[in-house]
Amino acid sequence: MAKYLAKRILYLLLALFIVITVTFFMMKMLPGTPFTNQEKLTAAQLTIMKKQYGLDQPVWQQYLTYLSNLLHGDFGTSFQFENQPVISLISSRLQPSLLIGAQALIIGSVLGIILGSLAAIHYNTWVDRLATFISILGISVPSFVLGVILQFYLAFKMKIFPIALWEGWRSSVLPSLALAVSPLAHIARFTRTEMVDVLKSDYLELAVAKGDSNWQVVTKHALRNSLIPVITIIGPLTANILTGSMVVENIFSIPGIGEQFVKSIMTNDYPTIMGLTILYSVIFMSMLLITDVLYSLADPRIRLGDTGGIESVG
Amino acid sequence: MKFKKVMIAGMSVLLSIGFLTGCSPKSSTTKSSSTAKSAKVKLKVKEMIRIAERDEIPTMDSVHSVGPVATQNLTNTMDGLYRYETTTLKPAMAEKIVKPTNKGLTYTFKIRKNARWSNGEAVTSSDFVGAWRKAVDPEAKSQNAYLYNGIKNAAEITAGKKPVTSLGIKALNQRTLQVTLEKPLPYFNQLLACVPFYPQNQKMVKKWGNQYGTSSKTILFNGPYVLNSWNGSDNTWTEQKNNRYWNAKNVKTDKIQYQVVKDPTTSLNLYQNNNLDRVMISGSLIRQMKDSPDFELAKKNATYYLTPNLKKVPLLKNTKIRQALSLSINRKQLVDKVLGGGSGLTYSFTPKGMSFDPKNPSKDFASETSSSAAKYGKYNPTKAKKLWQEGLKETGNQGKTINIELLADDMGMFKAQSEFLQNQLEQLQGLKITLRNVPTKSRMMRQNSGDFDIVAAPTAADFPDPINFLDLLTTNSSFNYGKWSNSKYDALVKKSSSEDANNPTARWKDLLAAQDLLNEEQPVISLFQPAGAWLTKKGMTGFTLSPNSVYDMASVEASK
Repeated sequence: MAKYLAKRILYLLLALFIVITVTFFMMKMLPGTPFTNQEKLTAAQLTIMKKQYGLDQPVWQQYLTYLSNLLHGDFGTSFQFENQPVISLISSRLQPSLLIGAQALIIGSVLGIILGSLAAIHYNTWVDRLATFISILGISVPSFVLGVILQFYLAFKMKIFPIALWEGWRSSVLPSLALAVSPLAHIARFTRTEMVDVLKSDYLELAVAKGDSNWQVVTKHALRNSLIPVITIIGPLTANILTGSMVVENIFSIPGIGEQFVKSIMTNDYPTIMGLTILYSVIFMSMLLITDVLYSLADPRIRLGDTGGIESVG
Repeated sequence: MKFKKVMIAGMSVLLSIGFLTGCSPKSSTTKSSSTAKSAKVKLKVKEMIRIAERDEIPTMDSVHSVGPVATQNLTNTMDGLYRYETTTLKPAMAEKIVKPTNKGLTYTFKIRKNARWSNGEAVTSSDFVGAWRKAVDPEAKSQNAYLYNGIKNAAEITAGKKPVTSLGIKALNQRTLQVTLEKPLPYFNQLLACVPFYPQNQKMVKKWGNQYGTSSKTILFNGPYVLNSWNGSDNTWTEQKNNRYWNAKNVKTDKIQYQVVKDPTTSLNLYQNNNLDRVMISGSLIRQMKDSPDFELAKKNATYYLTPNLKKVPLLKNTKIRQALSLSINRKQLVDKVLGGGSGLTYSFTPKGMSFDPKNPSKDFASETSSSAAKYGKYNPTKAKKLWQEGLKETGNQGKTINIELLADDMGMFKAQSEFLQNQLEQLQGLKITLRNVPTKSRMMRQNSGDFDIVAAPTAADFPDPINFLDLLTTNSSFNYGKWSNSKYDALVKKSSSEDANNPTARWKDLLAAQDLLNEEQPVISLFQPAGAWLTKKGMTGFTLSPNSVYDMASVEASK
């Protein structure tokens, strides 16, 4: 296990290096400069500014400089927030984003499992069809559209939650719900499919024959076995949440990093683009690693191979 | 059993993400709990005004201040030598408005006795000297250095050819400041009310270096309000009345709370739900709210205009062709229908309500040139078609199809606006307009390199003087994107800043004549005057846009 983890972390670092490299060169292809006052600067003044920031050097040289700074723990300073170190910019805005992201994942997983299980237990009835309808809706309606709808009805009309702003935990409910719908729908679809298979299996018939109640059969046997594959999709779903949060944070005026990421790309704020790309990549890859480890713990038939992959034991 | 463990482990991993970063529901409110509390404590209306801001404060370092949010918040918390009290230029740190000596080259300011920083220290002339030297210092990388051109040695210092100590600013003693110019700058007093010319507490600058102005703890204030507990990228902040401000008795509001709201619909919802007292709206919401008694339009010192590229498209060198293009655009329809009434109608490159006749302050620059502006600006399709045909004949293009690409930004209303312009311009026989809407940064690049046929873009004033606009179109200006050149025009602009520089009336006449020439020649086709559309709760008064495009928050009052 330790060997496997070490390998996986090594791969993670390698992947991170590739992400950093590709992003850096793609980012440098963006038109324009990171200077906010660009429109007011003459060509000569722009040249002077570029020289001062080292942006006049060849891109490969800038890349090497960036890498060497990164190895010394220096993420550079932002252009949008003059002289603000990227690290402090991210750390001061990370909390709200992580909170709504984690809540969305938990809400999505729990409700998704419940919805999927209900659909499977009531296979081919109106319950199943309703759950399927909700899932399709959840997959096809983007989180930001849902955010606007939730904001209008639950906050503006009914005044149950704050419309926006970041004033305590209640402010995080609507954005978390808006973000939770996509993972909820995916997990519900997945759980249903798995559970329908499990419910048809022999060992469940045995359990029923042993005299277990329906509730016991479902919770003790069916749910447990159908959830194992569900763990695997939690990792990729994190990506959905990360990208969704970029727009949702804007709608609810949340001082998070998602909205900052979009803005940094719009304004060519190179150090912030890089810092946030690294952060998002680390979060995403760590989630993949965590879910893989959980998967192997949950399913005795899966063993984490020393080769660094997942092997199935027949 | 094992399964339970796994589920517990899984959930705890998810939760630990939250807890590790200290984002349990409780702690997530640490920063904002004060705001939440303050919102819950029912303050009297008089004590606080809650305003939506469209963006975070990028910096509180006056030298690096760029954009409306930094400008507004620095104006709230700092004082320069002068300050606009609503629309009037008044002495602030300086005891009086100074008249230059030495043929308009030397300004000597006396700093008022009771000028104090928020920690009680006196504001001294060195605080100005230090800040100005920093602004032109190439090491400091200020994007505002160009504003100092005209002050002795400023341009050479920025280009790295002279030391910063050679800048034409001297502290004669603790309260006397002397500024030397290279040439007379008739608008120098207006310039001094601008944020990049504010003082900076030198002890703080020395202590924090590059970090000066990146958070509340790294800066001191000398203006009407102080900004407390701002971490540098907060999306909400509170400014409190500064009791040490020299003019504190005339600051009418105790507290201003700003909240960044980037989504216009959310802004409106918060306003209607009484979470905010004043919000800016945009796009289709303007149309929706235009008839509300709370609605007001504040025109900016800016112009949105078309630049025909004379170098790339030789046909556009013909004046009649440019006049025809201008006459074929129904600007009233553009402003009312396409932009939903959120902008001001104008035919003039120099905006309305910005500069006034030095002899008669009721006479606005754009109004004095309005008849020549309307001649080729007011929609007249018949005249446009006639001039178009004449222009085609003169250039030997009769009967030909003319293909022209219109370059513009791709966000918000710009696409709809481009389509409208395409429809209008194609009324001219044989003219085929292709649209190219690109991100702003791409548009700027192509505009700078002359890679366009006609480009639509805005330009805004740095300080309230027509020269901001008229200077852009002189032959050697880097901002003359269309490469129009007119020796008579160049001579007028030059005369205004040389022989007539110390004669306000003669200078005013030169500038009017230059504007009249632009109206005639149409090297740029003005479309509208951008504006901010605001909703303000009843009882909040004093929101008057100063000539330098900021609100004087010291004059704002909330009363019921």
